[in-house]
Amino acid sequence: MKKITIDHLARMEGNGGVTATIDGNIVTDVKFLVNEGPRLVERLTLDKTPEEDVNLVPRICAICTLSHKYAAIRAMEKALAVDVGQKVKLLRELMHLGEMVESHSLHVFYLALPDYVGFPNAVAMASKFPFEVKIALEMKQFGNHIMKTLSGRFIHGENPVIGGFGKFPGREELVWINNRAVQFMPFVLKTAKLFAELPYPDIPEAVTLYACSNPPHQKYGFVGDEIILSNGEIINVQDYKSLTNEFLVSHSFCKRSRYKGKPYSVGALARVNCLGERLGGEAQKAYKKYFNGRWTQNPLFNNAAQALELIYAFERIPDVVDEVLKLPDEAIVLYTKKDGKGASAVEAPRGTLFHAYEVKKGLVSYADIITPTAQNAEDIERYCYIAAQKLLETGQEEKIKDRMDLVIRAFDPCISCSVHMVQVKTAPEDDWQERLAEIKKIASPLIVGMGSDNHADDGAGLELARRLRDRGIQDVWLESEIQGESACWGDERNRPILILDALDFGERPGKITLIPLRHAAWNSVLSHKMLPLMMDGLDLARLENSYILGIQPGSIKDGEGMSGPVRQAIEKILEQSGKNF
Amino acid sequence: MQDNKMKIGIYELTGCAGDALLIVDCEEELIDIFKAADIEAFLMAKSDNDDACPLDVALVEGSVTTDKEVEELLHIRKRAKVLIAIGICAGLGGMQASFLEEKDWEKNLKAVYGGLEMIQAKALRSKPIDAYVKVDYYLPGCPIGKEQFLATFARLLGGNPPELYRFPVCMECKWHENDCLLNKDILCLGPLTAAGCGSICINHNLPCVGCWGPAEEANRTSEYKLLLEKSYNPALVKSKMANFSGTRIVEFFAQFKGGKK
Repeated sequence: MKKITIDHLARMEGNGGVTATIDGNIVTDVKFLVNEGPRLVERLTLDKTPEEDVNLVPRICAICTLSHKYAAIRAMEKALAVDVGQKVKLLRELMHLGEMVESHSLHVFYLALPDYVGFPNAVAMASKFPFEVKIALEMKQFGNHIMKTLSGRFIHGENPVIGGFGKFPGREELVWINNRAVQFMPFVLKTAKLFAELPYPDIPEAVTLYACSNPPHQKYGFVGDEIILSNGEIINVQDYKSLTNEFLVSHSFCKRSRYKGKPYSVGALARVNCLGERLGGEAQKAYKKYFNGRWTQNPLFNNAAQALELIYAFERIPDVVDEVLKLPDEAIVLYTKKDGKGASAVEAPRGTLFHAYEVKKGLVSYADIITPTAQNAEDIERYCYIAAQKLLETGQEEKIKDRMDLVIRAFDPCISCSVHMVQVKTAPEDDWQERLAEIKKIASPLIVGMGSDNHADDGAGLELARRLRDRGIQDVWLESEIQGESACWGDERNRPILILDALDFGERPGKITLIPLRHAAWNSVLSHKMLPLMMDGLDLARLENSYILGIQPGSIKDGEGMSGPVRQAIEKILEQSGKNF
Repeated sequence: MQDNKMKIGIYELTGCAGDALLIVDCEEELIDIFKAADIEAFLMAKSDNDDACPLDVALVEGSVTTDKEVEELLHIRKRAKVLIAIGICAGLGGMQASFLEEKDWEKNLKAVYGGLEMIQAKALRSKPIDAYVKVDYYLPGCPIGKEQFLATFARLLGGNPPELYRFPVCMECKWHENDCLLNKDILCLGPLTAAGCGSICINHNLPCVGCWGPAEEANRTSEYKLLLEKSYNPALVKSKMANFSGTRIVEFFAQFKGGKK
């Protein structure tokens, strides 16, 4: 068994990595790890004033600092019934466009592009693309400049406050921003073409659900009071929890999200999929020219979507400045409300960011913050799994590390994910034991033996199940007993389902492995075998909590008996699993 | 590669990575930084990082919040001649260190993560890095300031200790000729907070929030008294300073005559 580990993806709102475990020709496990320790931000903001909260929460992430500021202010203003004027709204949009330009230009040019043109990093790339590297840096600086002009600092500026701004930018500063944006346009259009036409590989391609904020008036944009999904569903931001459904996993301090039991994606690609038809001007032309079916199911196209959004941002900046220049400065809107509740969604460069608060007697009594990377974590793992499994099946094992890296970086978990340490190491022989122990910690599993007694080693699962029954272990079923009668395992929904079966994963006969059943859906060999079972009465939540304990068969020929190594494997499982299983 | 160049490592523990990002945001100067010294490790800016070599200077951002980070930090200290805490998370524990009692922290950890046991690392209450290793110098800020960082970097290259501002934000505020917000009855933490940000909030008509941590100035007791004379509640002042400075603020206030421990 092999483990492919990417230890330090440097930053994903902290420190993270990925591990893929390979057993024979099956990827048994993929874990997206967040190494960063717990900061308990949602707890330490309790009993603070709304203003203090708005000072503190942007410190969650230096890269999305203004998205956090924006989201926190919007949620607080909702809770405290603060209604700001048009100029404040526009300047907030402008500061956020600055962050979008800064983050997107850094990501596409410095983090993503080196992979596609065959350089280890941006500095090395400069030898062949000096112009691109230089102008990309200028584009990033321009984004930084807007952020600083509006917020006061490059990072963690305090100028945006509940009710408005401490100080408004002067006319000269705004006109400079306007002119500079116009100057960049020719290069921005080239950028969109470059990234739309990159040779993105087709592994991994798989459909997912996309989600993003739904800006009002059928416009493109980065804030809204609703969430729109790529299947057309609309969710009010105040009901954001029906989208995110947060849960914990034990391998990460980062919480996870699923919608109706399924992973979903947020970010530039999600926005282009949900809102692309609403783009105007040059962005619309580029969208019509480049958008196609592959954008709907390949996360690598996130880079193309980011480049498309750069056109949108550079066209939008002069429009915003024009409108702002017509409006008088506004005093900070004061409020008297001491109690209230509010949630908001803002599109951070890397996806939808939720902030929700309750204020009681002028102090924060509840805080909930859901970051884009937390929402993408499940899809990041899923796409890494699909990439690894498909490459393994097509004899391209040596490409797995780099491809997983490409997938993770495409999701843009945070800026410096270009930086990593990749290792391939051999995992311990009896990895399955540890993982079985973990599953049993949740609850004792319901056991199903599968296979066929007449085909030599294919009877291993049935034999193992019968032996467990002989030991008096409860809730053990044989495949023939459950078909069409899914009700027999319909109770006790929290208990895991463990399928015992002969499983050909290209290893030596008798080798034991353990994989989540959901992996079968993306594995061409397994899906065929497990499909009837998965179709038959196993709902999504149940599927998530189901596993296959597989033994590599030697022979599955008609009429032959079970081989020695497989018999030994059965004895080993019985011995290791103890009296209670 | 020249052998006589200083070997420098930049590391991130738990925090927002704003100090590392600030260094990246130095942009034009960044190239000079990479030329002037051998940057052996800087996860945010480069991929070929050496995590075993001896270092002349280690810059560490972020506070310690897991047992793994303790190990990592000890390993860095062992290799570095000079260790500098950059930013207030490394220096003071940061906002994640605002749970002053172990019990309080445990209760809140449980509220977020339930009883779930993490396989990856054991969570610890956030502490500044000098709770585990000797720290030679502290660079304050949330995030650190570009000017102070570049000046410190240049002095280190010349083999000199950093020279930091020891005065409070008020001094920079005067240089910017701002009206004092305390005179307008707005609670501003400028008198207690370390300078270096350029009094940026007051320049924007907003009160200082204390994000650079406490100032070192000798007569800070009188600065503190100034706030009390304005009839601000000492508990309120302390709680506002603790927002960013974490547990260390308890020791800070204990130094004041009349300040409650």
